[in-house]
Amino acid sequence: MATRHSKAARLFQKNREKAEWQDNTLWGVRVKRDRMAKSLDEWETLRDMASAIKKHTVTNLDVYLEQFAENAEKNGIIVHWAKDAEEFNETVLDILRSHDVRKLVKSKSMLTEECEMNPYLEKNGIKVVETDLGERIIQLLDQKPSHIVMPAIHLTQEEVGALFEKELGSEKGNSDPAYLTYCARKSLRDEFLTADAGLTGANFGVAQTGEIVICTNEGNADMSTSVPKLHIAAMGIEKVIPDYRSLAVFHRLLARSATGQPSTTFTSHFRGPRPGGEMHIILVDNGRSRMLGDDLHWETLKCIRCGACMNTCPVYRRSGGYSYTYFIPGPVGVNLGMLRDGKKYHDNVSACSLCCSCDNVCPAKVNLSEQIYAWRQQLRDFGKEPMSKKVMSGGMKFIFDRPGLYNAAIGCSPLINAAASAAGYAGLGLWGKGRDLPEFAKESFHTMWKKGKVKNDK
Amino acid sequence: MTSKQNILSEIRKHGRQPIEMPSFETLSPVRYEDCLEQFVVTARQVGGRVALLEEGTDINALIRSFYPEASVIASSLPFVEAALDPDTVADARELNGTDVGVVKGEVAVAENGCVWVPQTMKERAVLFISECLVIIVDRKDIVNNMHEAYSRIDNPGYGCFISGPSKTADIAQALVMGAQAARDVLYVIV
Repeated sequence: MATRHSKAARLFQKNREKAEWQDNTLWGVRVKRDRMAKSLDEWETLRDMASAIKKHTVTNLDVYLEQFAENAEKNGIIVHWAKDAEEFNETVLDILRSHDVRKLVKSKSMLTEECEMNPYLEKNGIKVVETDLGERIIQLLDQKPSHIVMPAIHLTQEEVGALFEKELGSEKGNSDPAYLTYCARKSLRDEFLTADAGLTGANFGVAQTGEIVICTNEGNADMSTSVPKLHIAAMGIEKVIPDYRSLAVFHRLLARSATGQPSTTFTSHFRGPRPGGEMHIILVDNGRSRMLGDDLHWETLKCIRCGACMNTCPVYRRSGGYSYTYFIPGPVGVNLGMLRDGKKYHDNVSACSLCCSCDNVCPAKVNLSEQIYAWRQQLRDFGKEPMSKKVMSGGMKFIFDRPGLYNAAIGCSPLINAAASAAGYAGLGLWGKGRDLPEFAKESFHTMWKKGKVKNDK
Repeated sequence: MTSKQNILSEIRKHGRQPIEMPSFETLSPVRYEDCLEQFVVTARQVGGRVALLEEGTDINALIRSFYPEASVIASSLPFVEAALDPDTVADARELNGTDVGVVKGEVAVAENGCVWVPQTMKERAVLFISECLVIIVDRKDIVNNMHEAYSRIDNPGYGCFISGPSKTADIAQALVMGAQAARDVLYVIV
């Protein structure tokens, strides 16, 4: 099964030093997460509750969305609804044009990545400046995030140093992270002060109070919305939660799961426009309502985008975010990609060893690996069952259905010992890559039993 | 059909059997013997500094002792000596260049070092644009955990839980204080 993922993973592994650094670094984040989880006796109860609250909310999604929108409007927020990416992008552009916005500062939003908003706005003459440091770095490199929480995890400090030297005029050869962060801070300050509007995502939308909540460590979502007067928030419809009681549960899980911090530095609650300002929320469906109807996979909608499944995943850590063909990598990305378009993103289902580690760290208890297993069983529905597997399982069925032939085949198996080494087994088939064939016994158990060679010594 | 109607009808079409909201009774969240002591520990862990204001000490003197070089202090609190007032500046940009912003927090959380700062000033930029931020907290307002915090707060339009200085690890996962907002946070407990 040489999927596009496995081919890309092999390329990633060619730079052994970088691959090892990423593996160790992400595992370090997982260890920090564990420390946080173990410091709370109620951790598992919190996970159970988060899962149950999400199940409750997405199975009552129409009710909560209407409540959210109604309360947000009462708070003076202008609420828009966008059924797909196209309508979302057009809505953003309309709002920006009606305010003569030329420069937009924005904080991290996976939804805007999903809708490819930045290129759309740039094409229409709006300058877009990412303000999360990691996002800014990859924007300057014209790259995509390789991790949803640590978007520039694939870059070394030397690479960032070289970039800043060229783009921000930093000192030649200085790749000290503190120095580079300071250079970005200075440059972004100018952008905040001269921007005409700020755009953010939303980690949560609280139905009862009609407000959105955004979690950042840098404070960039707040800088983006406390200087310009116009604030636009992009929110996927599955982000709505019932109330503050629920929010407390998710708040306690999110940063601990994501980075091993007890909280993000800033948890910002926007319940209306600034004095003299204007606030818009765009609620985006873009396929989510359809995903809700998928009996096997609807629970993926419980995801709160913490990225813990990536940090723990042995395949993600060793293959990097760019080896996946969907813009969200790792276990949850495999699932979201398949929900988006199974025909297009089926390559990623091979990126799983079924170790189930992701299921055990997910704060909302999304059964990620079980779902990946289910997607593999469904590959045939997309016409994407790998040919080699089809031939293999077809052949096995033929043999297992015929006991005579089976016995004859087993009788011949010792021959494989010689044949395999002669043919160079590892080079023959994909299964053989990275695996050694066990040596076949000279006599089968079946024959030994018949000859009375199997004795019970007790 | 509007997009709103379209989305809601799609949700209803694909909708699932509603599942009940779970009970919160099974949850017994962390509590501490001494919330103040725990808050001080956590606030330092998240990169903040903590000062206890002794009775009879002047808060302005205390702020000066922590930031002797500060030339521009911004605050809308009546008892703080400040050059800039976020309530009276014409535009948020005027607050750029603030060395120390001084604000009041309403609820502090022992488990994670968060302090709830609602927008009581006209320009909330003071919370983020200042190089250093001083948050004044009453020791009576320290709670155990986020459940208690969320049951106590009210949001006047904007409010933020702040847990230490702005930080990032986006370059090679090296932790750096002072990404976009305040590089230093001092909690003054009164």
